[in-house]
Amino acid sequence: MNTMTSIKKKLALVSTAALLTIGVVAIPSQAHAVAPQCGPANASTGYVSTCGGVTSEGAPYAMLVPANYNGTVFIYSHGYRYNIDVPPLGYKLSTILATPQPGPLANNTDQSAIKYLLSKGFAVTGSAFAPEGWNAASAVKTDVELIGLFKAQFPKTTKVIAWGESLGGFITEALAEQHPELVNAAGLMCPALGTVEAELTGAGDFLWGMKTFFDSKIQGHNYAAGAAGVAQAYSDLGEIAATAKALQASLVTNTWPATSGAAGTALAAIPPRSALLLVGLMAGIPTKSAHFDGTTGPGKKTDAAYTSFALAAQPALAVLENGAQAAALAVIASLDLEQQTGGAFYDNSKTDYAARVADDVVSYNAALSGTTAINGMLAFLNPANPAAPRWTETNGAHAKLQALMQNTGQIKVPTIALAATADPIVPAGNTQWLADKYGPQLAAAQEAAMKSYTKASGYTAAKQLFLPIWNNPPASYTKFNADGSPNTTIAPVTGTNHCNFTTKQYINFAGMLVDAVASGDVSPKAAVRQAARRSGGIVDLTYQAPLLPFYRK
Amino acid sequence: MLGKQWRKRSLIASTTIAVGALVASTLPAQAAGNGVTSTTIKLGITLPLTGAASPGYNKIPAAMQAYFNYVNDNGGVNGRKVQLVVKDDSYVPTLAVAKTNDLILKDKVFATVGQLGTANNEAIASSVNLGRRGIPSLFINTGFSGFANATKYPTTYPILASYVMEAKIMAQYIKENFAGKKVFLIYQDDDFGTDALAGFKAGGLTFDATNSVGYASGSQSAATGAAWVGKAKAYGADVTIMFGVSSAAGPALGAAYQLGFKTQWILGSVGGDATTLKAIGVPTAVMYGAIGLSSLPSPADATDPYVAQFQAINTQYNAGATFDNNVLVAMNTAMLTVEALRAAGKDPSRASLLAAIASKGSTWANAGLVPLNYGASSHVGFNGYWFGTYGPTGTMLPAGGKYVVYTTDSGSGAVVKSTYVRPAMPAKGLPNN
Repeated sequence: MNTMTSIKKKLALVSTAALLTIGVVAIPSQAHAVAPQCGPANASTGYVSTCGGVTSEGAPYAMLVPANYNGTVFIYSHGYRYNIDVPPLGYKLSTILATPQPGPLANNTDQSAIKYLLSKGFAVTGSAFAPEGWNAASAVKTDVELIGLFKAQFPKTTKVIAWGESLGGFITEALAEQHPELVNAAGLMCPALGTVEAELTGAGDFLWGMKTFFDSKIQGHNYAAGAAGVAQAYSDLGEIAATAKALQASLVTNTWPATSGAAGTALAAIPPRSALLLVGLMAGIPTKSAHFDGTTGPGKKTDAAYTSFALAAQPALAVLENGAQAAALAVIASLDLEQQTGGAFYDNSKTDYAARVADDVVSYNAALSGTTAINGMLAFLNPANPAAPRWTETNGAHAKLQALMQNTGQIKVPTIALAATADPIVPAGNTQWLADKYGPQLAAAQEAAMKSYTKASGYTAAKQLFLPIWNNPPASYTKFNADGSPNTTIAPVTGTNHCNFTTKQYINFAGMLVDAVASGDVSPKAAVRQAARRSGGIVDLTYQAPLLPFYRK
Repeated sequence: MLGKQWRKRSLIASTTIAVGALVASTLPAQAAGNGVTSTTIKLGITLPLTGAASPGYNKIPAAMQAYFNYVNDNGGVNGRKVQLVVKDDSYVPTLAVAKTNDLILKDKVFATVGQLGTANNEAIASSVNLGRRGIPSLFINTGFSGFANATKYPTTYPILASYVMEAKIMAQYIKENFAGKKVFLIYQDDDFGTDALAGFKAGGLTFDATNSVGYASGSQSAATGAAWVGKAKAYGADVTIMFGVSSAAGPALGAAYQLGFKTQWILGSVGGDATTLKAIGVPTAVMYGAIGLSSLPSPADATDPYVAQFQAINTQYNAGATFDNNVLVAMNTAMLTVEALRAAGKDPSRASLLAAIASKGSTWANAGLVPLNYGASSHVGFNGYWFGTYGPTGTMLPAGGKYVVYTTDSGSGAVVKSTYVRPAMPAKGLPNN
């Protein structure tokens, strides 16, 4: 039997509607700038005092303080929230802007982690930043102000633990770098780190690739100012959703979407799944996703179709599932940053995609349909091909993007990062960037410790101030229905999706941060290693996640 | 402390705690002790035990362990018994990466050995970061010439001659024996095949869309085999080269048999194991008269001291598994591994193991009829082949009854007859280096 025919039968896969999702939290509204107004901590409030107010920049905040407050407060920075209404997603900015978020929410709604911290005597606080969107500079200022307000309101406070998710991880790292005097430990969960340029380059690569291969109607960049640009972004969201749906069908029929234009004609002999995977590799999208592990197939392992599906179909399916998740954010964030920088900041006029994916294509040669097909696709994407025009920046926007707040990577307080290795929106390469920055710092600290040794004073070991925790999905987890089609209704496994953490994980992470404050050190001692092993994890001092494509050029 | 209470509970689910790029120089040395105890040395291998590519290759781990057991029963390696942890990668690179990570992180193997396949080894080298982590990957079974790059793959040692060498030698053989004939090539369209095309070109044999067909790894099937053969037949190929894995050679030869396509087959060293081809249903008749290549002696040549000794070990320790090229390769790899472990010292570390291969690996006894070319800056394995002919039962023996070995390099060097004389088989097949 032709195994590829068999594969096609298995490709009735992911619901496009389910794919086009985002990880933002809808929260209620708040009003103008006011000092903290606190409610009582009594039986009716669970002995938790709740304070609300607004910072000088207009960010509403919340402080939750238990009656048995132990003097340690967690200040939480939330992730990226769209700075415009997004009707197709039911997203209303005014609602979002008005609602502070004092801690992480498992599954976007479950406040168990916050409640657990309160029950153990910790206070929590956090704000809804003003403005939303990419707001690192403003958010750090808000966090600084909020720490001051909190300490003034609760003088018993002795320790501050900053933690945040996604963009909130970037903000938390920036806060710890710029104000180590205010923070005793930092927790970075699914963090964006480094520069916004690195983050948005991957988004631009993905949008450009989707447009060039599959749908020329996607604009993807250079949006108009004001409402016209918003309308263009809305249109892009629709185009991308339609393209994802068309690709879903294309993977079954092995024919390119009708919107593919010149690419669909020139590359017709190459399966569209291979082109989709190539776009994913160019943009750094993980090849494992919530429901596609990249390693298994339907039926028995002894069936030829099993291996063929795992080899040829799985990586593209993972890119489709991951890419559809990332696409909406890519569009809205690109619009946001173009508005902030006054032009089109993304520029791939000099990007060498062949060099960028050189190491990846050997691993995915079969899924990319062989070297000849890979070379054909890369040739189509060559800057010299008029059918694949590159994008160039306008109005000096690229330089303005680079001038936005960056992380330096200088670790000054005990810091722990928790990164999923198949995160489709903020890849684990962000955390690897920080690990790479910290390596020389630890080496220098160790050298200094050696130099300061004297017989009289003895040796004081350098403290390790940074510890990345990699949240890995299992090797195999794709489930198949009785007819051999992939089951995409099961809950995403840990290590996939963006900030896909459980309450238990948040609680344990918080516990590690509390320990870090106490010891001033985050080295993976035996107890931590042992605990990790008991929970199925492994301590590895040399693990290395792939860097974002931006750093690979 | 509350945090300590929490730590007693399960930590972050399914996590790997790491210090990422905290380079080895900033951390305590980890090599000593990893996978080595006072009584054992633990090694690991991933290879296809299931799936289309598994026939033949799935015999390798048992044969390797059989040789290790033989050594273990005779004192082991400096008193330590050698253990082999085996994992199935189904010939899927991403799975090979995951399983190799498991070997290193969960099973704590000292080194990997005999990892199989070009794409798998490339994926492992880059995604598992073997070089950066100082983890030896010994005697890998791929002829991709890129693995000889000691800078890019500092801890990886291939054992096979490169596919460039194989194609160069094959090109010369064809020019000498089939001058003026129409030659058709079936090749795997990845670095395996890229090497082959480069070698043929260097040897003066060029292919284009009219006289060759490439296939993406994993796409081979009966239908694709028929398509390849149909194209070769349409071209009027007098000579057809199959430069691919057995799971591709099988469909091609099967289709030729069904279509009655008469051509002079030349089967590359990777996909030409007769036992494997027969196991996947290739009629012996279509192999009869085909030409093949090997760097090791014929597994049917019981006059060869290495073959004879390995056959004896196979009979005693491998439940009498059919002794074929896969078993021969496996036992030869295992013997080289034992020599490497012995040379690494009484308290071996990963660094001492790698240093031993670099300094002495080219001198170790093994069945190869061409030398291993390991050195301070060279990771080149074998460097040549002899040609044989498949007989009526599928057994490949040297053409003319004598091994005539050709050698070359992966560059522009000439193809010449080898004068290499290999070291004698150690007494009882037990390394004495």
